[in-house]
Amino acid sequence: MIAQLILSILLAGILIYAWSEYARSPAVAVLALFVATAGLYFVWVPEHSTALAELVGIGRGVDLILYIWVCLSLIVVLNLHLKLRTQMELITALARKIALADARAPIEEGNIRNPVRE
Amino acid sequence: MVSRVQTYVVIPAFNEGPVISRVVSEVKRAGYAVVVVDDGSSDATAEEARAAGAGVITHPFNLGQGAALQTGIDYAVAERAEVIVTFDADGQHRVSDIARLAEALVEEQADFALGSRFLGQAPNLPPLRRLLLHAATAFTRLTTGLQVTDTHNGLRAMTRRAAAAIRLRQNRMAHASELLSQIAASGLRYVERPVTIEYTAYSLAKGQSLGDAVLILLDLFARRLYR
Repeated sequence: MIAQLILSILLAGILIYAWSEYARSPAVAVLALFVATAGLYFVWVPEHSTALAELVGIGRGVDLILYIWVCLSLIVVLNLHLKLRTQMELITALARKIALADARAPIEEGNIRNPVRE
Repeated sequence: MVSRVQTYVVIPAFNEGPVISRVVSEVKRAGYAVVVVDDGSSDATAEEARAAGAGVITHPFNLGQGAALQTGIDYAVAERAEVIVTFDADGQHRVSDIARLAEALVEEQADFALGSRFLGQAPNLPPLRRLLLHAATAFTRLTTGLQVTDTHNGLRAMTRRAAAAIRLRQNRMAHASELLSQIAASGLRYVERPVTIEYTAYSLAKGQSLGDAVLILLDLFARRLYR
């Protein structure tokens, strides 16, 4: 009972957060709403998660939820990784532009051309 | 015959204060234009390089060697360089090898001339590092199809046209393999030439560790998966 209450409070928090985020990123909000609602449902009716698990060939409902959780986490991590890399490329482009704008020419001029071979 | 080729030597440097001055002076003495890309060093690398006669570009913060090379190449292209050479800052390359690579571009009508320590010499190369480099070479041969003998050599020459075909996006050490895969994709002609790499106590201390090599491999695999 205690675990169910704590989980319910946490999931309800996610529901509220997802609702408030809807304007900013609808896709993420809908996904979070769906996951939190499903979570609440299975917290209070765990038998149904077991029934669902048996339907897809997994022994216990808890295991099913664990597997789904692992998959979702991996997707999130991959997504973050790609976003970070894109951001790094933008930062690099910006830093390069600044560096090239501030490039300092050699002190003694005139020795730029070099006769490697004539 | 090519007349008065403009050759720019690009030297990426990160905290190379103790040696950069000597390296720049030697390259300048041979008659090349030198541009040092100071990759956000916290020491006096930029000042030392400038005092020795190099053009200096300073990254506002450390971005990695691949990013520094690309910045230097961009600069050299903007300065109308005809030949662009990449050269390590730690003093392990020989200045006399630059001319050898630049000449190879003309003689072989190639767009890239890549230095190879395994065709040339690498005195004092530690056995573990030799093994690592051979493994990296085998991997890159497999993935790019280029028949090269030394994939992680910082000494290379390329024509202006070749530089335009290159766009390094791997900021960190994986750029060496990335460059080769872009050479393969460009379809431009490449040749290898023997060069000498002298491992000093200084360059060995600064070189890549085994951990770096693992990171390079992971990064490359990731790139193949997602891009």
